[in-house]
Amino acid sequence: MRTARIKRKGLLAVIPAALLCLTACSSTAGTAGTEPEDLREAVEAAAPADDAVSTAVDFDHELASYQPAKDSYNFYFTYKTVHPWWDAVALGMEDAQRQFLEKGVCITYEYMAPDGTSAEDQIQRLLAAEKTGYDVIGVDVADEDIISPVIDGMAANGTKVMTFSSSDAREGCRRIAYVGNTHNYEDGVALTEALCEKLDYKGKVAVLVGSKGAPCHEDRARGAADTISKYGDMEVVATEYDMDSIDLAYELTLKILDDHPDLDGIICCNMSNPVGAARAVTEKNSSTVIVGMDHDREALEYLRDGVIYCLGVQDCYSIGFDTLQIAVMIADGNTPGDLFPERTNEITTVIYQKDAAMMLELLYGEVL
Amino acid sequence: MKKKKRITHRTFVLTAVTGGILIMVVLAISILWSYKRTNNATDEAVSAVSEFYLEAMADRRARTITNLINNSFEQMDKAMAFIRDEDIMTQDDLRLAIGKVKSLLSLNRFAVVDTDNIVYTQYTTYTGGSRHAFLAEEKMEERYISTVLKYGSSMELCLAAPSRDIRLMDKDIKACFVQIDINEIVDLLAFDDQGRTYFGLYTPNGENLSGTELGPYIAGTNIFEAIKGVVPIEEWDQNRNNFSRGLEGCITFTADGNEATLVYVPVEGTDWQMVVLISGSVIHETIHDISENSIRTSRNMVLYILVLMLLFAVILLVELGLLAKYKLEDEKEKSSSFHTMANTDSMTGVRNKHAFSAYEAEVNEKIKNSGISDLAVIVCDVNGLKLINDTQGHAAGDKLIKDASMLICEYFTHGMVFRIGGDEFAVILREKGYDTMEETIATFNSRVEENIRTKDVVISIGCSTLKPEDEQLHDVFERADHLMYIRKKELKGMGAPTRE
Repeated sequence: MRTARIKRKGLLAVIPAALLCLTACSSTAGTAGTEPEDLREAVEAAAPADDAVSTAVDFDHELASYQPAKDSYNFYFTYKTVHPWWDAVALGMEDAQRQFLEKGVCITYEYMAPDGTSAEDQIQRLLAAEKTGYDVIGVDVADEDIISPVIDGMAANGTKVMTFSSSDAREGCRRIAYVGNTHNYEDGVALTEALCEKLDYKGKVAVLVGSKGAPCHEDRARGAADTISKYGDMEVVATEYDMDSIDLAYELTLKILDDHPDLDGIICCNMSNPVGAARAVTEKNSSTVIVGMDHDREALEYLRDGVIYCLGVQDCYSIGFDTLQIAVMIADGNTPGDLFPERTNEITTVIYQKDAAMMLELLYGEVL
Repeated sequence: MKKKKRITHRTFVLTAVTGGILIMVVLAISILWSYKRTNNATDEAVSAVSEFYLEAMADRRARTITNLINNSFEQMDKAMAFIRDEDIMTQDDLRLAIGKVKSLLSLNRFAVVDTDNIVYTQYTTYTGGSRHAFLAEEKMEERYISTVLKYGSSMELCLAAPSRDIRLMDKDIKACFVQIDINEIVDLLAFDDQGRTYFGLYTPNGENLSGTELGPYIAGTNIFEAIKGVVPIEEWDQNRNNFSRGLEGCITFTADGNEATLVYVPVEGTDWQMVVLISGSVIHETIHDISENSIRTSRNMVLYILVLMLLFAVILLVELGLLAKYKLEDEKEKSSSFHTMANTDSMTGVRNKHAFSAYEAEVNEKIKNSGISDLAVIVCDVNGLKLINDTQGHAAGDKLIKDASMLICEYFTHGMVFRIGGDEFAVILREKGYDTMEETIATFNSRVEENIRTKDVVISIGCSTLKPEDEQLHDVFERADHLMYIRKKELKGMGAPTRE
């Protein structure tokens, strides 16, 4: 019943689909200046073929041939907020932990987050962890401006710090490496371009963002805003933050729809946004087009049912797997170079209604 | 020597009757056995493909899961009791204790959760509020069983139990839980039924949980989507409703030209349905196999009875042959006895006059054909028989004759002795008897002469041999008889008794 899965050979395996996606989204903030025609081509390139769906998330991992220096490690990871997206990352980490254990290397770790995104909470966690003496501390940066100096301070104290999953620290931060999405702005651009094309480059749109200050969410929102601003017949009528809460996303969407009954589209920048937005759009029986992020099961079902137009799916599992693997290398004193990159190229794949059933099957074993 | 048992008419009749009865009994038993076996085979065929059978199979598998769940909860209780009794002050202590619990109680993926929804496993500690559905409630009151459709399409059965009055590392423990991989459960459910049936675990809406294929038509897809259109809509609707409500049911459908029957029963403690399916072709194959088996057995039974009858016929024939042989032997024996009696002198036991005549005829034939030579005839006459009879009675006379016969037989051991008259004997000498006749006659005569003095039996003998000119034995006999008379006179002169 289960589909065949693509074998991942080593950490630095180059996945053609990723290249396609990255090619499509390779420009940075400067992408805003790119001609619309070029962006349309980029979005078309990002649209996956059937096999791209199966490569969007890779569950078949093997550890790299790297031989750990010790037979036990103890790590601490903290991320933005308790949320299913990071649960998917956790599964990849647990897979890596099991594989290390089979090789005789025992890895213990904490993987902790607050119930709501809070830079202050994250600082407390990092400082407490620093005192405990973990081999490596990993952080999914809640707010790059607040957290980056803390990381620098820890690094100055000799603590090995890495960033992971959704958000890196700001440029110049002394964290050792980042494993996660390195193209959030481009993801925002790609999703928005898909929406614009669907709306024939005219209409009113709203932007739902996740946590305030969260680099990944802010970058995507920025990408979305920059893209909309290029089209004269398009307008952003609302930008709201759901603080990674589906319920809040739902309520915010209802309010936006009430305020703007002629709303044509919603750009969702995190995992909770599209679920809440789709619930509200369904409830309002609205024809508003939704584009969003991530692989929430309910969001995929809305995609399958045509309520959501497209979703950008990140490979959380690989992010988790690679995070733990690179943490071991960092704990052994290695630095970015031939062994691992300073920033990994984890992929995002834009999928559409026709891909939803296959993605549901791939991620949740569900058909229909 | 023990007398050999012989088959008699009675034995033969007894064998025939016993064998006949035995064959009739075997035949009757065979018929009864075949009847019973056919009935059993039919019952087996019916039960093998019946709804009851499928339901029993589904029930058995459902109970296996229920037992697994109950056992796991019991083990979890023991695990929590163990952890409560341990002196756990740090996270490392807790990880160590969880490791021991997993090892001692075979609880894979065992974890405890505190009231902040922080999950503690052997190797990790994580915030699990969004990951585990049972943590949605602030306080857990009852056991919780759920199916976890995990990201990555692996599926697990999650069993969570509330924890009471356990405080570790200054935190109250809210619950403990285990997650059992669905594949491990499927392994428990697999048993050999010669591939006749398919089974699968399903969610209430008909989605496959176990990853097992429910036959070639439904395979791993949603049951109700698969059979939509091949089952009457009312039946389809009712079964889908029953399925989702956790009731039992049975659906028969025909798809791609093949009939199939599926039975579903709820798995207690879960919202799962255990489904077992058998296809029509298997039913036909099963019935065909059972029918073939019955025919083969009946054929073997007929062969067995035929062999038994053949064996019995052979026994009867052998007995019949033996009976005939014994009868023939009896006849021969009887004939030989009559012949002996006809040719034997009853008083002396030597051959009689009849035997002599037969022998004489035989010899005469040989003489006629020049096929005989070296033959001598001795004529013997017992002296004084009349005198003994007259003076001492016939008993004494008979004794004299017997003594005379014994004396003749004593000396002429290589001759044929005949009693040819009241006191007359003849001895035919051939081969060794012929070769030693002169010596034997001389010794005999000396004995006779001695007997005169001792008043014992006196016998006069005359001997003559076959001559080329003799035409018959009588010619030889005549010469010997003549010589006997001469000897008789001679013995009289020596004092031998005579009738005068």
